[in-house]
Amino acid sequence: MNAHAAAPPPASALDDPRDHALAVAGLRAGYGRGGDIVCGIDMIQKPETIVTVIGPNGSGKSSFIKTLAGLLPARAGRIEVTGRDITALSPARRVAAGLAYVPQEANVFASLTIAENLKLATEFIRGRAGVGPGQRERVLALFPELGQRPKTLAGNLSGGQRQMLAFACALLANPEVLLLDEPSAGLSPKIVGETMEAVVRVREAGVTVLLVEQNVAAALAIADEVVVLVAGRLSLRAKAGDVKQADLAGLFFGKEA
Amino acid sequence: MVAQLFLNGLVTGLLLALPALALTLIFGIMRFANFAVGALLTLGAYAGYLANVTFGLPLPMAAAFAALVVGLACVLCDELVFERLRERGSITLLVASMGVSLVIENICRFAFGNAARSFDLAVARPIRWNGIRINYEQMTTAGVVVVALILFHLLLSASPLGRAMRAVADNPSLAAVRGVERRTVARITWMLTGALIGIAGVLAGLDRAIDPLMGWNYQIPIFAAAILGGLGSPLGAVAGALLIGIAEEMSTLVLPPSYRQIVSFSVILLLLLFRTNGLFGAKAVRK
Amino acid sequence: MISYLVTVVIFVAIAALVGLALNLQWGLAGLVNFGVSGFVALGAYAVAITAPHVGWLAAMAFAALMCAGLSMLLSLLTIRLEENYLAIVTIGFGEIVRILLLNEGWLTGGALGISGIPRPFAGMTPAGWGDGVILVFAVVLVTAAFAFSEALVRSPFGRVLRAVRDDPTVTAALGKPVLALRVRAFAVGGAIMGLAGALHAFFLTYIDPSQFTPIITAYAFMAVIAGGRGSNLGLILGAGSIMLILEATRFLKDIIPWIDGVQLSALRLGMIGVGIVLMLILRPQGLVAEPKRRYGEFFPKDAAGPAPNRALAEGGKA
Ligand SMILES: Nc1ncnc2c1ncn2[C@@H]1O[C@H](COP(=O)(O)OP(=O)(O)O)[C@@H](O)[C@H]1O
Ligand SMILES: [Mg+2]
Repeated sequence: MNAHAAAPPPASALDDPRDHALAVAGLRAGYGRGGDIVCGIDMIQKPETIVTVIGPNGSGKSSFIKTLAGLLPARAGRIEVTGRDITALSPARRVAAGLAYVPQEANVFASLTIAENLKLATEFIRGRAGVGPGQRERVLALFPELGQRPKTLAGNLSGGQRQMLAFACALLANPEVLLLDEPSAGLSPKIVGETMEAVVRVREAGVTVLLVEQNVAAALAIADEVVVLVAGRLSLRAKAGDVKQADLAGLFFGKEA
Repeated sequence: MVAQLFLNGLVTGLLLALPALALTLIFGIMRFANFAVGALLTLGAYAGYLANVTFGLPLPMAAAFAALVVGLACVLCDELVFERLRERGSITLLVASMGVSLVIENICRFAFGNAARSFDLAVARPIRWNGIRINYEQMTTAGVVVVALILFHLLLSASPLGRAMRAVADNPSLAAVRGVERRTVARITWMLTGALIGIAGVLAGLDRAIDPLMGWNYQIPIFAAAILGGLGSPLGAVAGALLIGIAEEMSTLVLPPSYRQIVSFSVILLLLLFRTNGLFGAKAVRK
Repeated sequence: MISYLVTVVIFVAIAALVGLALNLQWGLAGLVNFGVSGFVALGAYAVAITAPHVGWLAAMAFAALMCAGLSMLLSLLTIRLEENYLAIVTIGFGEIVRILLLNEGWLTGGALGISGIPRPFAGMTPAGWGDGVILVFAVVLVTAAFAFSEALVRSPFGRVLRAVRDDPTVTAALGKPVLALRVRAFAVGGAIMGLAGALHAFFLTYIDPSQFTPIITAYAFMAVIAGGRGSNLGLILGAGSIMLILEATRFLKDIIPWIDGVQLSALRLGMIGVGIVLMLILRPQGLVAEPKRRYGEFFPKDAAGPAPNRALAEGGKA
């Protein structure tokens, strides 16, 4: 997976693994032969919290999340989920290790039905505990409308419904950590509210959520912590309550390190 | 007369359905229209000939042998050529498939020469019914293709493998997250579609003489069928093949039989002019 | 021996013309054409049919215009679609031309073809100089086509096309005018293929459909790939070396006696296929790489289009 040997993470970043749902150290990644887009990210997230990543367009938020999910190979650094090193695993094995991912766009199979999307969510994932009919019932209870129209093509769903289907597919794998890339993109304000409520419900079900959002107001309302990503680096980390939107404007343009 | 032509057209269409389905499935996963489909069909016919005439096997076993040979040939081509060029875009893949087509055609020519050949078959008397004549080869073709299509439909629509194939065609990176490896699915798809083309090659060899250029007779109708159905849509390809088959045969009412391919070509042009997405959907517009 | 050499040189010239044309279409404009043999055949038949009535110059102009017009139609039909559609349409076109030539005997002579095609300057040529005149004619034609292609490549027209070929985002940002440019490049390529066909007809003075098999298309692609997409000089070298290899392999028969004529030709054609594939995999830039001309010098940086276009372009590829 990663051709470059991972640099040993700074010991301080990963001191007590049991306390971390997600731990990232010295993470670097980029596309093809291009330069790094993710330029050395260190981050630790406590279990059952919501952390929101915000940052200007093109700052590498999606690339960061893709690297965590395994779609973009890490050039250096280390990723741990509940204390287990997953840096070398394929995307699917990361899911089996408890890391689920909902992409920014094209996050469902549009030409497949709802039922088929839900089936595919787990049928090729091997070795994940807690995946089965019980989990399916719990997830469908969170998103009742999905159970009602199993034969509908996912491509024919509205933006909000599609987002719910994508959440449900991710949750069916019974993840410890859920990565969400801009779930509110392109949704109407009312649906954004519903989506954020769904994120809160997911957290209440015991899942740790790492959320990328452009919609800062909506994200701040539900997040425990905020990190700001500018040009591939984390430039600020703060409790959601301590951050005012006005402060963020300055950070977006990368003044602070 | 019209009924007879309709029936002939249906059988021709069924014969086209297998390679058209293969073309469209490969398009779904690899995003290029495989120019070599005609040459692979020829290879299937020769593989069947080898098994049937040289080894003296009965025709069903010859067809199975042809399916295996062409399936393996497809996997080999993918491994050696297409997979290596996949990142370079569909034009490169198209050009490469032309090279592959040339190689396969000339392997057949090298091994069997230019002379026309045919299977070793007992001559059976055609069945007549209400003035319509159905011969043994047509019944075989119809039977084999219908069974193959039903099996393929079940595979695609109701099996985990079929779901995985459709998932990769739809969205390869999401499929990877779901544990469906594009590479594995691509290999299986090449094998299966190769088998379809191999069987079609044997059926084509029942219908006409086997020679190194026989695949060219099917190339345009196969592409027309796949475009008619919307490139990438399996059900569309089958429906498109039937329509093309019937249109080609019916056209002999007004055009000389040698102009049948022109009918297919006109269908392609008309579709591109008026309905780019094929009759059954599937997006064709560039990015 | 002399006449054999003349034949080889003229075949190289025809291959070079066809290759230059394909290099414009595929190398420069990024539009693939699998119907090359059809355009060459049309050009040949056009001069064969019209030259006796209107003279060689008008006949060649007619051949070039007809091929340009048809190329333009085919590319217009598919320019907004994925590359695959133009490929399919051109494959079909090549086959259809062959079928029409075979079956419209009243015009084309069917399988027998057309003979007695008058060569240019035939009336003024002293006896025994025929080959020399056609040789000069061929060299002049190739030189003109080469100079024209080079000028085109260096013109703003060529630079826009190259930029578009290399970066789809630019197409998206510039929109329609670029499509028109690509159609034009495709038409010019078609015209040159028609001229190659004309040269073919004038040289042999006898044509029939069997001379225009899809193998011409394969040679042209091989020449462009070997020469390096976009490089006209490389192309001439490519076309030349392919013809030399093809001619040289005729003598393989003397070395490998157990091989029969059909097998030998299968071997040579198969080699072209292997060559195409190998060159694509091992040396994508060809033997002579396209001279690096940056398009940054032509497009200011902000013309690269807004981010959403890029996302779309990548979504389409995935
Ligand atoms: N598939 C890709 N190939 C090459 N570069 C890419 C790709 N996707 C994104 N990038 C580049 O990476 C940078 C960060 O993009 P992205 O992670 O999508 O940012 P964000 O999600 O914060 O808007 C951008 O400069 C973009 O051009
Ligand atoms: Mg993003």
